[in-house]
This record gives sequence, C-alpha cells and structure tokens, in this order.
Amino acid sequence: MSNKDIHEDSFQYTDSDKVEKIFSQYPDKRSATLPLLHLAQTQGGYITSAIINTVAKLTEIHPAEVMDCVSFYTMFYSRQQGTYKLQVCQTLSCSLNGADDIVDHITQKYGTQPGETTSDGKFTLLKVECLGSCGTAPVIQINDDYHEGLSIKELDILLDSIP
Amino acid sequence: MPLLKIDSLEIEVEKGTTVLQAAMVNGIEIPYYCYHPALEIVGSCRMCLVEVEGMPKLQVSCNTFVGEAPPERKIEGKYDMVVNTHNDLVIQERKNVLEFLLLNHPLDCPVCDQAGECYLQDYSFKFGNAHSRFDEDKRVRPNEYLGSQIVINHNRCILCSRCIRFTREISGTSELFVEARGNKSKIAALEDKPLDNLLAGNVADICPVGALLSTDYIHKNRIWNLKKQPSVCQDCSVGCNVDVFYQKDKILRLTPRENHDVNGYFMCDIGRYGFHRFEDLDRITTPMARSNGSFSAVSWDEAIRKTADKLGDEGAKIAGIVSPFHTNETNFMLGQIINGPTGTLPQMNDEEIIYQSGFRISNDRSPNRRGMSDVCPALLEDLVSEIDNQDVRMIYVLDDGIDREIDDVWKKILAKMDFVVVQTYAMTTLAQSANIILPGPAPYEREGTITNDGGRVQWLRPSLPMKGESRADWEILMMVMKALDKDAQDFTDIGQVMKDMGEKFPAYDGLSFFRLGPHGMSLNGRANG
Ligand code: SF4
Ligand code: SF4
Ligand code: FES
Ligand code: FES
Repeated sequence: MSNKDIHEDSFQYTDSDKVEKIFSQYPDKRSATLPLLHLAQTQGGYITSAIINTVAKLTEIHPAEVMDCVSFYTMFYSRQQGTYKLQVCQTLSCSLNGADDIVDHITQKYGTQPGETTSDGKFTLLKVECLGSCGTAPVIQINDDYHEGLSIKELDILLDSIP
Repeated sequence: MPLLKIDSLEIEVEKGTTVLQAAMVNGIEIPYYCYHPALEIVGSCRMCLVEVEGMPKLQVSCNTFVGEAPPERKIEGKYDMVVNTHNDLVIQERKNVLEFLLLNHPLDCPVCDQAGECYLQDYSFKFGNAHSRFDEDKRVRPNEYLGSQIVINHNRCILCSRCIRFTREISGTSELFVEARGNKSKIAALEDKPLDNLLAGNVADICPVGALLSTDYIHKNRIWNLKKQPSVCQDCSVGCNVDVFYQKDKILRLTPRENHDVNGYFMCDIGRYGFHRFEDLDRITTPMARSNGSFSAVSWDEAIRKTADKLGDEGAKIAGIVSPFHTNETNFMLGQIINGPTGTLPQMNDEEIIYQSGFRISNDRSPNRRGMSDVCPALLEDLVSEIDNQDVRMIYVLDDGIDREIDDVWKKILAKMDFVVVQTYAMTTLAQSANIILPGPAPYEREGTITNDGGRVQWLRPSLPMKGESRADWEILMMVMKALDKDAQDFTDIGQVMKDMGEKFPAYDGLSFFRLGPHGMSLNGRANG
C-alpha cells in the first residue's frame, strides 16, 4: 500500500466501550495499535489517514509509526473493499491443486482482475499467501471463513448462494 | 570483569560491553552498518556477524553482550567468551551478506555523492565478492524527496533503519518509517508530514551508504577534491563542532564533528547551511574613508592614521561596541583600546529548540556572548544613556555582521557621532554610518577562540582565505593601538594576544591552541570561570 492511496477524512470510533476494552488488555498504549486498527477497519472498511491519526493519538505514538505497521500487513486495506473478499490461496499446495483455475474462473464470472472489486461493490478478488490449511487445498477464504477442497462447480454453487 | 578472547587478543571488558564495542576500542575491525553509537541497537543488517564459541550460529556482534560465565563453563578454563572475527566461516558469511545487500544496488558509485566515504563501497572492496550471482532484473525505483532538503535514492538503501531511529530517538519527530515489507519495503515519510525538522540534515550524514542525500550538496563535487577543516559552528551559542569541506575559496558543505561535551554526533540545519549567506556577498576588501557622504578606498596607512588622529585627541572619549560574533581575542583587544563606555548592541533573540535527545539550538544565535563578556567585563547594560550622559562623540564598532539589524535608537546615536570606526567585512547598515571602515575577515575566515554558553573555549579555525587587503581583526586593532601609543605591546601572532588576554583574565590563563585541541576546554572551575 502506498501512502498516496490514503485519503483524509474524519474518523471516530462508534463503539468506545470496545476501544476501552482493547486498551485494558495491554500493559502499554502502543501495544493496542494493531487491534485498534482492526476495529477501525471493521467499522470503516479500509484504513484512511484519519484512522491513522486517530490511532496515533490514542496510542500516543507518531502517525508515521502507525503507517509503518499498517503498510507492513497485507490485511489492512487502503481502498474500499467489496462486501465479500474472495481470498484465494496462491501458495504451493493450493497452486498444485488448481488455485489458478479458481482465480481464472472468478475473473471470468465477475469480470474482475485480482485486487479489483465488482462494480456493484459485492466482491473483491484477492490473491493471498498460504492460509495454513494446505492439507485441504485449494483453499478460498471468504471474509473470515475458510472454504476448502472446492471444485469449480462447488465454488459456483457457493458463490451463487451468497445473497 | 569477564575475560574475552577476540581472535588472538585477550582482554578484560566491562560486563555488558558488546563484542563490537570491545573489538572497536581494541583496534579489531568488524564491519557494521545498522549500529550507530548514538542510536538504539537493532541488529538488522547482519554485517557484523562473528563466530562465538559454543553458539550454534554466527552472532551479530553489535547485539551480543559479554557476560560472566560460571567457573565450570569457562572456555579453556578461563575465558568467559571466545570470539572469532575472521575465520573462514565469518569471511564467507560477510561475502554472503554483502551479496544480499547489493542485490538491487545499481553499483553507480561513479555518480554517487557518497563515494569516497561510503561503507558499502569500502566493505565491498575489503570483504565482498567481486561478482554477484543475481541474474534477475534489479528492482528499480525513482528518487523521492523525503523533505524539502533530503532526497532518497531507494536503490542504494540497505534498510539499516539508522535514519528512522534518528527521527524517533534523537529529533523525536518520527517522520520516517518503513513502508510495506519484504522486497517492497522502502523508507518513506507521510505526505503531510515530510522530514522537515531542523535536524534533518543529519540523516544524510548517518546513512552509511549513498541513499540519503542533502539537496544542497548533490552532484556538487567529489569528496576527495575537498579539503576538510575542523572548526566550530558560529550560528548559535552552543558552538557545535564541525568539519568544513571547502575547495579553494568556496565552502561546499559542513558536517558535524564528534564532541561529547558539546554536540555529540550531530548539528542543526541552521548551522549546516548557514555558510551560504556569506557567499556572493558584496565584500569590503580595502579600508574605506567617507568624505562628503561617499566612500572611497584608502590605504591601510591612511586609514589607521585618520583613525588614530581622531581617537588620539586630547581628552577624547571613545565608546566601544564589542560583538558576540567576534572572537575573544578581538573583543579583548578592543576592550584594551576603549577608554569610554563599552557595550554591545541589543541581543537578537530567536526561538530556542530542545530536541528529545537533549540536542539544543540556542535562542542566542551569536557564538560568543559568554566569551565577549568574560574578556570585556565592564559592559554596560544601558550603553545608550551612558553615551548621552557622557556626551560621547566617537565610537569604535566591531560589527556583528550581515545578520545585525539596527533599530532607530541606534541609528540616531550613530548619526550624532563625530567619528565612527567600523570594523567589518561587508557594507552593512552599521558600515554605512562609518567615517572609517576597516576590513576584517568574514565568519569562515576568522581565527581565534570563542566560548560557548556552557563555558567551553573552542578553537575557531579558518577554512577560507581572507579577501583582498583585509586583515585579521586582532591585527587591525593592534595597528590602531600602536598608532595611538608607540610603546604599546607588539603582537606578532594571535597566540601572543591569547597569552596577554590570559594574563589579564585569569580564567583564560594558559590557553593555547595546543591546549584547546580539537575539542576545546571548559572554563568551569577556573578562576573567574
Ligand atoms: S536510507 Fe540510509 S540510513 Fe536510512 S535505512 Fe536506508 S541505508 Fe539506512
Ligand atoms: S545548534 Fe547552534 S552551534 Fe549547533 S549547528 Fe545549530 S546553530 Fe550551529
Ligand atoms: S498452500 Fe494454500 S493453504 Fe497452504
Ligand atoms: S551492525 Fe550488527 S547487525 Fe547491523
């Protein structure tokens, strides 16, 4: 993620109880950086510079240090993602078991390249590294859930059943 | 104390010393990049790997501490640690580390400003492989501005993070961070918070390679063409130690010189880039006399004679203005000539800045207020009214220089004078009010001692030749002194002025350039110090 993709906006946590709970779990404030970012992303969909500034203020570190952390992790997004993130594993086992076919199929089905979001904002196709479930390759993670060992046909049924 | 064996050397070291430090102070070279004595240890570059007996893998010497081993675990019955810094394994591993660090490096030393003082160049030459096995395309990125005066060449960066730690630990401003990770990682600053603090220039110095560059010096020259003069910054009362790099009569850059009693390893950008304001100045290079409102060049003889004629008048009262921009010796000499009220122009105050590490930029942007008051103890608080009270009509001014602004009160006083002598280097407002102008050296041409606000006397060494017919300030004052009094003491060099000054002001007794050396001497604890 480049810091040019991030736009200024104002940001406030809607659930201040959760913020407090996060802080209560750590000995010092800066340790709460990652969970606070996750919470903010769940609320806002992606990380904006307003979020970075808010988290920096709360954790009492500099915005550049928050950005350091945000840009390190691939699961923080700098742009709006679709409602459903189709995360297809690319690593060895999945690759040998047809991960490329899955990506090609989704690309054709929705007209999106990896990294892109469908025009209705429903799906984002992402290539990811090993999901740690190599024994059940190929693996696709939709938002937080794993779907394992799918054939193309099963994948279609699965995708079509998403409301 | 633990007994350490490095290669064939046996040494006792303080518990908690790192292997790298122990090696360095004992003259054993271990190459390193990410380690910097002023910064936290991160152990990330892997250049400093050594073999430590009993440990399964090579260790980073910058982050390996020597401790006491229990008796039964001592090696060969006596050593607490045994380190090899250049066996085959270490030598091979250094080659490997360098090969990795150079994977994406453009090998563009011929156009790189760091060449000649680059650790990548030096270590590759000394420890590296002649060839890389990397056949793939290199990752190529364009240069970027991190701040208005710092550019990064990403292709040369080895991601040692020295620059980041500098902004987090020394300036405390934290503008820099590593963006992304792995092959994509690079040093970056947030767009709305660029690297624009007044210590920014230091990151170009501490970058061990040619990645961080000061826009002020990019492609200006090659380092081996320049001469280096150790000196002292004259842009505030802290007196940071500097190296002035110059070629003929042009300064190309200033870098901080290590002095733990003053500035540590760093300097600020006010001092670093300050020399530019003396470039292309309209300099006064011959003595000048004013008649009917316009100045004309005169010989030294004539200028001194005219000055002495006036100042030597029976019963004449002469006021003196000494200057915190001038050396101790110059102020001292003027103090000896003046018989009337002496003072200095009002202090021009600026912002004081203290950074996280304690590095300070003083609000007093003159270098020698402390020394000036030491050697001219009778300075009046209110020179203005004293000049009025005593109806003084002549004044001898050591000009503060081009930074000095003159307020209306002073303009009026100067206009009232019958005779004004100004010792200066440029046509300043003060010089314009003079009857006689005596040309001296500009800041980087001056020699003498200055005393910083902590009471440390330092040797100000000139890096540029004086211009035209101008003469050293002490010499000018001596000529005036001699013209006023034939029996006045003869000084043949500035060392004799220092000696005389020490006799009159015990705090400065026994000072010499030899004793001051490169790091100066503290007055604290000396008589009147
Ligand atoms: S820019 Fe220089 S100091 Fe900063 S990480 Fe890269 S090599 Fe190190
Ligand atoms: S802190 Fe003062 S003495 Fe040091 S470099 Fe800056 S201006 Fe010069
Ligand atoms: S390779 Fe896909 S889950 Fe491990
Ligand atoms: S200097 Fe030891 S790892 Fe960099």
